[in-house]
Amino acid sequence: MNGRSAAPTRDSHGEDNGARSRRAMLAATAGLTVSAAGCLRLRDIVVPDNIDQLSLTITTIPADANRQNIQIARQLEKTLKAVGIDVSLDVRSKIDFRRTVLYDHDFDICIGRHPGGTDPDFLYEALYSRYADESGWQNPFGFTNLDIDELLKEQRNSEGKARREAVTAVLEEIATQQPFVPICLPEEHRVARADRFDGWNEGHPATRHGYLALEPSAGVDTLRVGHTDARPTENLNPIAPDYRHSGLITDLLYDSIATQNGTGEIQPWLAESYDWDDGAFDIRLREGCEFHDGEPVTAEDVAFTYRFLQDTSMGSHDTPSPTPRYRGHVDAVDVDSISIRNDDHRVELPIETTQTVGERALLVPILPAHIWREYATEIAGPGGPSVAQGTTEGIVTNNIPPIGSGPLQFESRTEGDQLLLERFESHFTRRPGVELPSLTVDECPIVVHPSSTTVAGVVQNDGADITSLPLDAHAIDGVEESGDVEVFESPSWSFCFLGFNTRKAPFSNPLFRQIIARLVDKETLCDEVFDGHARPIATPVTDKWVPESLEWDGRDPKMPFLGTDGEVDVEAAKIAFEDAGFRYDDQGRLRTRQ
Amino acid sequence: MLAEVLTQLVIVISILLPIAIAVFIGRKRLARTRAEWRTRLRDVAPAIAVLLIVLLINRLARQRAPRLSREIGLHLTSELYNIEGEFILLFQSIATPETTAYFSLIYIYGYTFLLLFPPIAYFTLSETRTFRRLLTAYALNYVIGLVLYIFVIAYGPRNLMPAEVAETMLFDTNPQYRYLTREVNSNTNVFPSLHTSLSATVATFAAMTRSTFPKWFPVAVVLAASVAISTMFLGIHWGIDVVGGLLLAALCVTLSDRFVGRWSISEELSERYPQFEDRFPWVDRDE
Repeated sequence: MNGRSAAPTRDSHGEDNGARSRRAMLAATAGLTVSAAGCLRLRDIVVPDNIDQLSLTITTIPADANRQNIQIARQLEKTLKAVGIDVSLDVRSKIDFRRTVLYDHDFDICIGRHPGGTDPDFLYEALYSRYADESGWQNPFGFTNLDIDELLKEQRNSEGKARREAVTAVLEEIATQQPFVPICLPEEHRVARADRFDGWNEGHPATRHGYLALEPSAGVDTLRVGHTDARPTENLNPIAPDYRHSGLITDLLYDSIATQNGTGEIQPWLAESYDWDDGAFDIRLREGCEFHDGEPVTAEDVAFTYRFLQDTSMGSHDTPSPTPRYRGHVDAVDVDSISIRNDDHRVELPIETTQTVGERALLVPILPAHIWREYATEIAGPGGPSVAQGTTEGIVTNNIPPIGSGPLQFESRTEGDQLLLERFESHFTRRPGVELPSLTVDECPIVVHPSSTTVAGVVQNDGADITSLPLDAHAIDGVEESGDVEVFESPSWSFCFLGFNTRKAPFSNPLFRQIIARLVDKETLCDEVFDGHARPIATPVTDKWVPESLEWDGRDPKMPFLGTDGEVDVEAAKIAFEDAGFRYDDQGRLRTRQ
Repeated sequence: MLAEVLTQLVIVISILLPIAIAVFIGRKRLARTRAEWRTRLRDVAPAIAVLLIVLLINRLARQRAPRLSREIGLHLTSELYNIEGEFILLFQSIATPETTAYFSLIYIYGYTFLLLFPPIAYFTLSETRTFRRLLTAYALNYVIGLVLYIFVIAYGPRNLMPAEVAETMLFDTNPQYRYLTREVNSNTNVFPSLHTSLSATVATFAAMTRSTFPKWFPVAVVLAASVAISTMFLGIHWGIDVVGGLLLAALCVTLSDRFVGRWSISEELSERYPQFEDRFPWVDRDE
């Protein structure tokens, strides 16, 4: 934490904190004496008290990065101003946005894209109370609710029907509490060259499977990827949440024990098998696998990875400094009891949850111990991200060149422009007899283009084979399909959300959060801001897990919009705030103690 | 893509410049320049060198500056937006396909031409001070602009109101230009508008030399005004950035007057240290 005042403040740089608290102190003492003299009005004029118009900041990213978030933010700004709240916008680059929200927790309300998850267990990572002071995707909202904690743990420890009931209960409770407002699920559309490759969309293009097992046409030996985000050219650290979204590129560079193709079943990958054996996975690694630097992949690397992700300082601090990505995944592993069996290729991974949830722990990237062991040292430098539990090299390193064991290896990069990956010849998927998708091209240049519109144009002009990131909603309708060019849609689980910093008043108040949630017209946003290429949601899980009570039925079943067709009913909103215990002054401003 | 856009730019400029030279400079002056270009070049060499060094630093800083800016810069987007709100949307009221095409062309081609023609024109003057002042003013614009860009992190209107400016937004109507502009700029470099400040600098010099280049003066003013308006019309800059650009132009023109001597460095050197002339025979004066 960076010592900002807990009150929502309009000043995003906080220079006047000192002045503010001094003023508050003066107000307190002076107020006492003056009001004792029975001159309340005068006191208000002479020494302004600290009950002011509520003023809050909406943090989001610029239109260059994603065109919808800023539009949602401005829509909300107008709505909140109409109901008497003072609002300012804090627009930050993708990297800065994530550092502000995920590391520094220096926000009031944020609008962004949550990576989400194919399994509802991602909510454990997102909301578990114990993570409130950690950095990363683990509880950036600082949300603490013991009932929800219990339910989140329950769904981790039950199977089948019992788990479904626990999930339903937690989803309903979350929908009441609104620690964040799930807004909508944007569609994922990508453009690809059908004349150069066959088999697009057999693997989900947000996962490694989308790029393996493609069938190239005769003479095609390069997979030209058009990317619209320069971050992978700056940093390839698989555990850096400020640079990763779905982690697609690092998943091609690093292997994991198991793999998941989109919303499909989790299946063995780097491991030949992992059998569930009474609370532990008995993992048998494939023999003869190597990292890109030629070192063998051993059971020791696997054990190291789980230990490192739970404490990136490897025990050199009093308290562990956990990874800012994959936190919920690795928390299922009892790292102190990991044991390596007789040879170098067998690990017993004790799991503290059910098999279903525990299996998700097998999706983390396996890091080479001989490189990452060095990254356990603490680093104190200005500028980069900082973690309350101790910022280690492993969290801040740009990890270039990345040494993984994945099907692609790093060749070169030009910062801001391109990243060149090439096939890792000795990857296990290339062995005869391995029934897994393998890379069918020699190299894979990932070129950065400025926008969805330009990159779609580049694919159409045969300058790239695929747009690796989903097209921005405004660009989707402009892409023309032809015999050579294919536009395809893939299932999506990454959702658009409005997050509250529940560490601060009044965002700590669920009644306040509920009213804000009811001021967002999700349906209209989907139609107007996403051009219909998104659907509104009341709960942030995949369809399979949405309980009937939280299905979208033309309106939000729990938090229906306070108004009609995008127009907020200002009077109704004000009454709602007053019913929740807030006050308005005679000029219609919402007043709170700050 | 970049190569394509650059080629187009080079072609357009190489058509525009000869026409402008013929129309605004005149044969007589060109003939004299041909006779005197060596001496003039020697006089103005330091100014050219300074500008080139500044441009080089600018180019290198493009790699380093965003990161430095991230560390020490102030986030001022909300301040700019809070002050002027939706002011620039006023220009949307004149948006038609024609005006959009006009301002897009002005932003890319008009601006480049506006910057490249004056150095050629002023080189044909027998006194070299105007030329040296112009280049110094250019250099100052870039230096001060770069420093401000490091300290001020702000996004332009298109990044806040993408839907409102979509009709005219340069990168929506002509997405290929993004390849060109990202080579020279990052999207947080909005305050001040260097497009405006450099154009206004050129217009000011055009005003100062209007007796020598009477036809250039109105052209420069119209072009400069169009460039300033285009930055807002296309949704790239805030009104405040344009005002900042105008102030920066005024500052740079004033400073160039102070910094650039009546005589060139080589002239001064040979006046103060006449012995140099013996030692360096090429430092001779023939005026």
